[in-house]
Amino acid sequence: MKRSVLMALALVVGVGMAFASGSQEAADSQGDGTTTIRWAYWGSGTRVEISQAAIDLYEERNADIQVNPEVSGGAGDHFIKVDTQIAGGAGPDIIQMGGNINDYVSRGVLLPLDQFAGNELNVDVIDDSAIQSGTIDGTLYGVSTGVTMPALVYNKSLLEREGIALPEVSMTYAEFRDYLVMLRDNLPDDVYPMMDIGAMSSNSTPFGYWSRYNGTPLYDAERNMTPVTAEAATRYLELFQDYRENGLVPPADIAAGYAETNADTSAIVAGRVAIGYLFTNQLSGYQAAMTDELALIEFPGAAETNALWVAPSQFYTVNLNSEHPEETVKFINFLVNDPDAALILGNNRGASASATARAAGASSPADQKVLDYLEAAAPHTSPDTPRVPNDTELNSTLYLIYQQVAFGQLTPEEGGQEIYDLLTRLIEES
Amino acid sequence: MRMQLSRSARDNLTAYTFLAPWLLGFLVLTLYPMIYSLYLSFTEFNILQPPQWIGADNYIAMFGGNDEVRADPRFMNSLWVTFRFVFISVPVKLMFALAVAMLMNQKLRLIPVYRTLYYIPTLLGGSVSIAVLWRRLFAGDGVINQILDLSFGIQGPAWISNPKYALSTLIILAVWQFGSPMIIFLAGLKQIPDEYYESARVDGAGPVRQFLSITLPGLSPIIFFNLVMQMITAFQSFTQAYVISGGQGGPLDSTMFYSLYLYLKGFGFAEMGYASAMAWFLLIMIAVLTAILFRFSGSLVTYGSGE
Amino acid sequence: MTRRTRTRLSRAIANVIIIVLGIGMLYPVAWLVSASFKESNTIFTSPGLWPTAFTLDNYPEGWRGIGIVSFGTFFKNSFMISGLSVLANVIFCSLTAYAFARLRFVGRRVWFTIMLLTLMLPNHVTTIPRYVIFRAFGWIDTILPFVVPRIFATDAFFVFLLVQFIRSLPTELDESAYIDGAGKFGIYTRIILPLTVPALVTTMLFSFLWTWDDFFNQLLFLNSPDKYTVPMGLRLFLDSSGISSWGPMFAMSVLAIVPAFVLFFSLQKYFVQGIATTGIKG
Repeated sequence: MKRSVLMALALVVGVGMAFASGSQEAADSQGDGTTTIRWAYWGSGTRVEISQAAIDLYEERNADIQVNPEVSGGAGDHFIKVDTQIAGGAGPDIIQMGGNINDYVSRGVLLPLDQFAGNELNVDVIDDSAIQSGTIDGTLYGVSTGVTMPALVYNKSLLEREGIALPEVSMTYAEFRDYLVMLRDNLPDDVYPMMDIGAMSSNSTPFGYWSRYNGTPLYDAERNMTPVTAEAATRYLELFQDYRENGLVPPADIAAGYAETNADTSAIVAGRVAIGYLFTNQLSGYQAAMTDELALIEFPGAAETNALWVAPSQFYTVNLNSEHPEETVKFINFLVNDPDAALILGNNRGASASATARAAGASSPADQKVLDYLEAAAPHTSPDTPRVPNDTELNSTLYLIYQQVAFGQLTPEEGGQEIYDLLTRLIEES
Repeated sequence: MRMQLSRSARDNLTAYTFLAPWLLGFLVLTLYPMIYSLYLSFTEFNILQPPQWIGADNYIAMFGGNDEVRADPRFMNSLWVTFRFVFISVPVKLMFALAVAMLMNQKLRLIPVYRTLYYIPTLLGGSVSIAVLWRRLFAGDGVINQILDLSFGIQGPAWISNPKYALSTLIILAVWQFGSPMIIFLAGLKQIPDEYYESARVDGAGPVRQFLSITLPGLSPIIFFNLVMQMITAFQSFTQAYVISGGQGGPLDSTMFYSLYLYLKGFGFAEMGYASAMAWFLLIMIAVLTAILFRFSGSLVTYGSGE
Repeated sequence: MTRRTRTRLSRAIANVIIIVLGIGMLYPVAWLVSASFKESNTIFTSPGLWPTAFTLDNYPEGWRGIGIVSFGTFFKNSFMISGLSVLANVIFCSLTAYAFARLRFVGRRVWFTIMLLTLMLPNHVTTIPRYVIFRAFGWIDTILPFVVPRIFATDAFFVFLLVQFIRSLPTELDESAYIDGAGKFGIYTRIILPLTVPALVTTMLFSFLWTWDDFFNQLLFLNSPDKYTVPMGLRLFLDSSGISSWGPMFAMSVLAIVPAFVLFFSLQKYFVQGIATTGIKG
């Protein structure tokens, strides 16, 4: 018996030791003078390949630098990973950031970049608006990777097949409603004129647009309050209630089936609606998932109010605890400003905001529609305003309130009050 | 007397030697994360900044709030959704799994093929393809409604996006992926000695008698295991609801499972302290239910060792 | 009716039931396979079972992976992690289970309860402290966070499973082996292990499958693309801010279930054998 016990023990200790010794090697791999920059971003196929091509070029020019791309499949995965890494004290050097950049700035995990501007980072050739959008409370935290804009997207082939006149790029709300009525009367029975654009998970954008259209952004950062009133939010809910009751958008239970998080959950890709909403950088992805041709128009009323805005599609930001801030910023400068890098990277992370990069980059034909739209809509824009704190909670709760109204559990008045309460609470809690 | 003492000491030494890997793993790898999350449940923790001690506020918010702490109605809703899911899906899934396991325990030539095919739904797990498939089946213009329309002329609702029915599509999914308990049942059935059945047949017992007097008692430890584990897993169900609702638990929070809400709170809304409080409440709730099951099992489960 | 025709008839009925039920079960799977042969731009626009635009390109295209790392590498990494997990779980969970099920010792109930409690805490709230521990050991971006915990039998599910199976075995077998002079370890290797083969096979199968599918932990603990695994690779086909490769994603999803499918099919024969209590003595 003694022997059997000893055997069991030896087995455990032996295997344990084998792995423990293996782990020691993994711990220290550095020490040959090269600096490793960890670059965390999200993306798929093409973005991974061109990012690697840019890395290869940079490593070729800088033999002492090694860049390790830590790529995740989507923004959701990316941020969970980055959050855990930062909490564990091992955050990456470059963090690709989206609309939630304010949340990361307010939690104090990003490195201010002002000290590098003009030195490692050439800001002179980057558009002012792009620098502005990466500047929070007077400090530069993010370098824009490119720009994007909210837009309505319509199924051009479908309308042509049905012999329906294509929509104007700029319409007033009244003209837009008439157009939807005309669509309803001419489209096949199972196709609705427009997606219920509040019933999707990124709905703070259409609501934010509508607020700007009324002259009130969702968030006034200087006074730390929301200019939106409960009455105004109610009117937004009533606008879509009117569309819903008149068959201009799908009934609540149909609309709820399409979260529009990607092409697989898209009503416009599935051919159930003629008009949807997206950010321009999503157009190529939607187009790749369907044979019908898509095209872009502005949100209604943009021409009168300049309520549209140019948004940074993504930022490069630097981890506050990065061990190699200078090398990291130099690499970012290469990514956004270097002509060779621009040729490699194209418009994959949004239409470039750097003059030198734009001069070098030739866009693919697929991106042409986006560029045309950006140009046409440019006069109908005004500067971007700061995001409401806690972007994810805003979208998730807004989605819930909107659905409660759509399914008839709340009246638009009650819903409007809840939206107001939500905005007020999120701003107070920050 | 002295002999006995040293013998029990030796028994302990032997047992703890066998147990050593698990004990070491528990103390080094599992205990600290558990204790730390318990501590977090009394803090406000946005993951990126150090946690702030706030006492029992998270727990207060979960259960109605008070003058200072805002109540969280979404929490109660997620608890209710999860209870309904657990108490419907677990019994149905287990009965289905047992029935199929017995079907698969027959001596048919093609049994290996059948078993493998029946296990495929489980292999798909919670992948993106499951989400696409389920929407395709249960959408307003989905396959189920096409079948209903063609065969009965019934116009079905949009099952998956109607708050009344969305949860049932997830229950169907859970039952459809019955492979794991089925395999465990199958392994259990194999472990019942054949001669028990032979002697029962000699005594003239029919299939029903055999099932009641041999299969059920012989399988009872395994049934108990499946019941406990399926309950624990069902309470923590996450992936399927996450992929199908795009992480939103919709429509109208009707598929907002407890774990999904916990995840949304912890990583989405950056309230990891609150998520930890939710996790510990879930632990306590499951532990109590498991304890009740263990108490009841005493009279119903027969072990070979006669305990 | 003779006995023979009666068994034949009941077999035929069983076959029919199995097949009819199976068709209903397998429709979604058939759709998945069919989607892997569709052009990406028709998968969601014409979602019928039969491809309108048939293509084989999704497979080679998907196999290219993310361009810088091929899907073959993801498969290799997943095999490595899953294979070692299977090995560790089978050995160490059964050792632990044997102790809980058959040995008498002080604190058995307490430890058993604690082991069950570890199953009840959702692991999303323990990710950060676990990350801190693994980082302190230098295990980040290696396979160690997936394998080493298994050596310490931290998968309580399998311990509990094997405990239940061991406890359902008649104790007379242990006793007769004990009389023949076997020690506790001897009883474990000569009596318990052979008799719990179906449960061990179950452990192997589930260990493999659950490790293979475990996206969340792999996302957190692996950083370098050349160490990524199959579920991570599948997610890299999908990006809502860019172009998602739906066809290749479905193609690789089909390939991704093949290993578990093959494993399951080949482990079949170990389920076939019932135990014969009389055969094993001494």
